[in-house]
Amino acid sequence: MPKTFKTSEIVDFVVVGSGASGGIMARELALAGHSVVVMEQGPRMAAYEFEHDELKYRNLSGITNNPATNPQTFRSDATQTAKQMNGRNPLTYARVVGGSSAHFNANFWRLHEIDFIEGSKWGPIEGASLVDWPITYAELEPYYTKVEWEVGVSGLAGASPFDPWRSKPYPMPPLPVKSSGVLFERGARKLGLHPFPSPMAINSIDYKGRPPCAQCGLCGGFACEVMAKSSSVWTMIPEAEATGNCEVRSESYVFRIGMSAAGRATGVHYFDKNKVEQFQKAKAVVVCANGAETPKLLLNSATNSQPEGLANSSGKVGRYLMFNKGGGAMARFEHPLNEYKGANVTRILHDFYDSDPKRGFYGGGGFDARSGGPLTWGQSVPPGTPSWGQGFKDYLESYTYWMNCSGHGTSLAQETNRVDIDPELKDAWGVPAIRVTYKDHPDDIKHAKWQVERAVEIMDAAGASQIVPGEVGAASGGVHLLGTCRMGNDPATSVIDKYHRTHDVKNLFLCDGSSMVTSGRGQPTLTIEALAFRAADHINRFAKANAI
Amino acid sequence: MDQHVPSRRQFLTAVGNLASASWVALNWPSIAAAAEPMQHGHHAMAMGDEAPPTAITTLAPSEAADVEAIAGLIVPSGKTPGAREVGALLFIDNALGSFFKDQLASFRKGLGEFQAGFAQQPGVTTPFARAPEAQQTAWLAQVDKTPFFLAVRRLTVLGLLALPKYGGNKNNMGWTLIGVEDNHYWEPPFGYYDRDYPGFQPYPGTKPYTA
Repeated sequence: MPKTFKTSEIVDFVVVGSGASGGIMARELALAGHSVVVMEQGPRMAAYEFEHDELKYRNLSGITNNPATNPQTFRSDATQTAKQMNGRNPLTYARVVGGSSAHFNANFWRLHEIDFIEGSKWGPIEGASLVDWPITYAELEPYYTKVEWEVGVSGLAGASPFDPWRSKPYPMPPLPVKSSGVLFERGARKLGLHPFPSPMAINSIDYKGRPPCAQCGLCGGFACEVMAKSSSVWTMIPEAEATGNCEVRSESYVFRIGMSAAGRATGVHYFDKNKVEQFQKAKAVVVCANGAETPKLLLNSATNSQPEGLANSSGKVGRYLMFNKGGGAMARFEHPLNEYKGANVTRILHDFYDSDPKRGFYGGGGFDARSGGPLTWGQSVPPGTPSWGQGFKDYLESYTYWMNCSGHGTSLAQETNRVDIDPELKDAWGVPAIRVTYKDHPDDIKHAKWQVERAVEIMDAAGASQIVPGEVGAASGGVHLLGTCRMGNDPATSVIDKYHRTHDVKNLFLCDGSSMVTSGRGQPTLTIEALAFRAADHINRFAKANAI
Repeated sequence: MDQHVPSRRQFLTAVGNLASASWVALNWPSIAAAAEPMQHGHHAMAMGDEAPPTAITTLAPSEAADVEAIAGLIVPSGKTPGAREVGALLFIDNALGSFFKDQLASFRKGLGEFQAGFAQQPGVTTPFARAPEAQQTAWLAQVDKTPFFLAVRRLTVLGLLALPKYGGNKNNMGWTLIGVEDNHYWEPPFGYYDRDYPGFQPYPGTKPYTA
């Protein structure tokens, strides 16, 4: 029977969020002997409750924040009045125990050494805030390795000439290649590029009591029914609970952090599953709620002494919102690929990872071969294809002949891109809602268009019979929610220090995508999890030294 | 809405269908490990079983007739099933009466404008559903960029490819149409191009290594 705590008990830590970072944080703090309560907005679902229902998960917010109950507004710049978008939220995340690690695609790229020092490398870029991280790849490398072995990642170490150095190989071999991977590899090799087996947080063999991938084909947007995907709910959360020191309190929506007159966090105010307000006392609070919900919680926790929001003396809480801009192409081949089978991605390449001044703009990224579910795919047609009638039916019947070559790249941090609180809109609990202000940096657009051209080249070299270049439009939202409480050494320009402690509140820590200083090139979850292991090490060290 | 049963049923069916696959022999301990917690949940899943809708309960008969006619032109019948055969109308009616009910008013308004506009076309003497196909397609060609048509098109595709429990995709005919087999487990080769993959060949200067 998992441990439970009374709200009146003062636990050592409340961890807000049970996703990629929250699960690790809970496990590491509980293993160190601390009492921990994990607060999760969403329900706890068992593996058998997840299903292959593309309508439910892609169209009806089955496990994600629902625009009807968790609404957000959007505007592209501060001169506009933000409005709700038609039927969707700009920022999407999973609202379930396991967080977005439950429904991610499980692409697990490490950042490269360059990602941490691009401010020094490239200097100022007009309109952007490209700065160095306060930590280096070398400092994070042990934690990348720890994630790969503790959480479970499959891949082939040393396969890419562009890989950063690593101290250990992956614990599991790569997943079996799909037809999209073979074609992607064929085309890229013809062009002199270096595709390689994709590192994935999906079991390829029995690992830590979980089975290998069943190759069902529905990863992104879906939770894994066989627990082969290394989601927090199947990996870290059970291990945290097994310590006897951790309670995961689902359907518990934290809306404000309690503060004492002395400026210390005292616990969290939350709504329980009956929408009744509760307060959990704690000696310290660690917010791992994601790059949207973490700044929202801080901004909604303003006090008389911190009127602009908690831990916001810098004014940077919610700013520097980044996604991962990218561009790609869809391609049709002569024979069926059957991309609805198998883990979503099996081959990637990092030849274009670094930014190159010769291109005339900042930006870098990676490419992968992937596919989408049929229901989503069938909603649009390539230019020139009939959208109804026999021609449309013919197109639908070609579903198994198509694949995507997708580019994933950088988004520059801009102070004006932000999450803040809408002045009027509230959610179904009466909590002030998120307002998003976002406009792509011109270099992000240029890089995405450049990626489209490379994707077309790769698919052409692979022998595609039809190629549909992707359209690069203005970003109006995303699922990689990064940078909104950035890490830094200077309290005037950052929200947390290099140990994830907020500059302003000694016993308040933040760790999730909001901590990231730059966007990386896509696939941020491995980095978020490495940061969580590292942050937990330091928080445990502080606790031992009575320095919290 | 709590609709869990198809995946549960599909999962167990999938496990059963793999009896002859070599993959089972290799991975049986893992399959068994995964299946066990699902069996624990069987009762709860059975409690949530929902049969697909079988009757039109949201749209009026005249509305339903015209919507089905439009859907039938978007994905026509022929040698293979079209929107009519897969039950797209049942899906649309179910959707507008439940999870898309907020869209019902605007859908009805759009349908009314569609019907009124059609009635004003030269030579039209019947409702859209009973008109000659040439008149129907001529009118659709005029309105196929309107929000109403795009809504019907979206719903038709959803009705073709969403799980059968929602009313469409009868007997998985929609998936069959696009070449998708209903199964939860696959093993390589998955498609034509990975059948003869020789294995990953390292690049000069690299030394791939494994645990």
